[in-house]
Amino acid sequence: MKTENNVMYVLRLALTLLAITAVVAAALAGVNSITKPVIDQLTAEKTQQAIQAVLPGGGEEVDFAASSAIVSKVYKGESGYAVEVTPGGFDNTITMMVGVDYDGKVLGISIISHTETAGLGAVAAAATPAGEAFRGQFVGQSGSVSVTKDGGAMDAITGATITSRAICDGVNAALACAATLG
Amino acid sequence: MEAILGIIIAAILSQNFILVKFYGICPFMGVSKKIDTALGMGMAVTFVMALASAACWLVYEFLLIPLDMVYMQTVAFILVIASIVQVVEMFLKKMVPALYKALGVFLPLITTNCAVLGVVLVNVQEGYNFLLSVLNGAAGGLGFTVAIVLFASVRERVNKAECPESFQGYPLALIAAGLLALAFMGFSGLSIT
Amino acid sequence: MNFKKQFKEGLLTKNPVTVQLLGMCSTLAITTSLFNGIGMGLAVTIITICSNVLISALRKVIPNQIRIAAYITIIAGFVTVVDLFLQAYIPALAESLGVFIPLIVVNCMVLGRAEAFASKNGVLASAVDGLCQGIGYTVALVIVCVIRELLGSGTFGGGLLGPGGAGIQIIPQPFPAMQIVMPVGGFLVLGFVLAGSQWLMKHLEMKSKKKEAAK
Repeated sequence: MKTENNVMYVLRLALTLLAITAVVAAALAGVNSITKPVIDQLTAEKTQQAIQAVLPGGGEEVDFAASSAIVSKVYKGESGYAVEVTPGGFDNTITMMVGVDYDGKVLGISIISHTETAGLGAVAAAATPAGEAFRGQFVGQSGSVSVTKDGGAMDAITGATITSRAICDGVNAALACAATLG
Repeated sequence: MEAILGIIIAAILSQNFILVKFYGICPFMGVSKKIDTALGMGMAVTFVMALASAACWLVYEFLLIPLDMVYMQTVAFILVIASIVQVVEMFLKKMVPALYKALGVFLPLITTNCAVLGVVLVNVQEGYNFLLSVLNGAAGGLGFTVAIVLFASVRERVNKAECPESFQGYPLALIAAGLLALAFMGFSGLSIT
Repeated sequence: MNFKKQFKEGLLTKNPVTVQLLGMCSTLAITTSLFNGIGMGLAVTIITICSNVLISALRKVIPNQIRIAAYITIIAGFVTVVDLFLQAYIPALAESLGVFIPLIVVNCMVLGRAEAFASKNGVLASAVDGLCQGIGYTVALVIVCVIRELLGSGTFGGGLLGPGGAGIQIIPQPFPAMQIVMPVGGFLVLGFVLAGSQWLMKHLEMKSKKKEAAK
């Protein structure tokens, strides 16, 4: 590069790049200020819906002593707890809500977000008969659950044993956490 | 310890960056005609991925979070990666000319390798700490290297095979890659918990 | 400016996916349902048009040495805008595409068009180029999606049609080969689609040659 020693030229390069970055940053700040409240509201709504789905009447967030690192939040309601857990799925972390009553039985599970494969792992969260059936079998379970392949009683989703195991992990963590709360 | 071993095994085998997660397909198809160039690319990518994981973790933790500008992460990360690639290129050129000669042509390509940006974004998403991020980057790079070297050795032979005209070149290469991915599916149950 | 030629190039003879093999990561990773394919295609099209227009407008201002860094910053900006809007207004799509939305930044097609076309041509032509290449990308993606979804899950229109958005079941349950929606299937299906497009191009070329010979 013959212009390497030319300070002015290098300065011009740096300033142009800086200007572009600054404009991009400013534009993004603008867009972010519009979308952030919407995204936050959506997330809050989704969490509320998931709590309602697994814990009739909803609940208030309470403190908990984490027995497992995948338990992120606990909500206490009239009939039990709604425990938000984040087990590691096939692709990335699955965020789900597990309802547990005061007797330590699962009231229901609801998946808030996931990135599992469409048609396979994603069945676990789908509003289809197969998805309902998969989630339904957890209702009333207590102690610890596992898929049939691991000697448990839960039928895994066809072709998605890892996702099914992850859901079991989540349910187990929620049950264990609820047990410590009484 | 378990977490560390788990990440290494996942990144190299059961969650291989190329064959399972589909990051970095462009260089995978582009630079896999010969085994030695594939190895060179793999090494360069591994190096940059580990370095980028470290740098981006620092940027995220000490710049984006305190400034409340997490939405700038994609822009910030790609700039960091581009600069790292540039610096590595200049450093090698001056200090280790032999290595530069071997890797030089691949370096600019790494900026647009989605494996690098991918691993950085996944690190942030999964909330890994500094050590785990770097480890995930390095192991992901090794996974990339394993896959691309294996594929290059398959391809050297496949290219000599006779096949219908329409399948010549990339279509056949993709199908070979598919069979390799099928083999890697065998690792999918492998996990340390 | 030749709109028809640009369109044909984007769709077939210089299709970003089947001929140039650009943006392969997303082509393989997210093509498991029609919804994903259309969503990803549209997102990439919009980003390519926007970045093409801006880069073309700035092509005389950006110094040559830092052009790639400048392009990538601009592209990353547009990608983030699209990402934020999707998260806010089409959360289902944002969730199902996941990390592959920010990864559009390194989709070589967007940067490729910036470098190969927008940096040398006017604003309007660049916009048209972005549109044509984007359409070509979307069409290729949708074809791969439809095949993978049909063979892998036995459905059509997953995420869009049918009960609960699970798609319309065409092949009854035990028969679809679920491997097709797994990574293996991505490589295999794309391989066959590529072979198909090579055959089609050869076929068209022969036809036009015959025509010329007849003249």
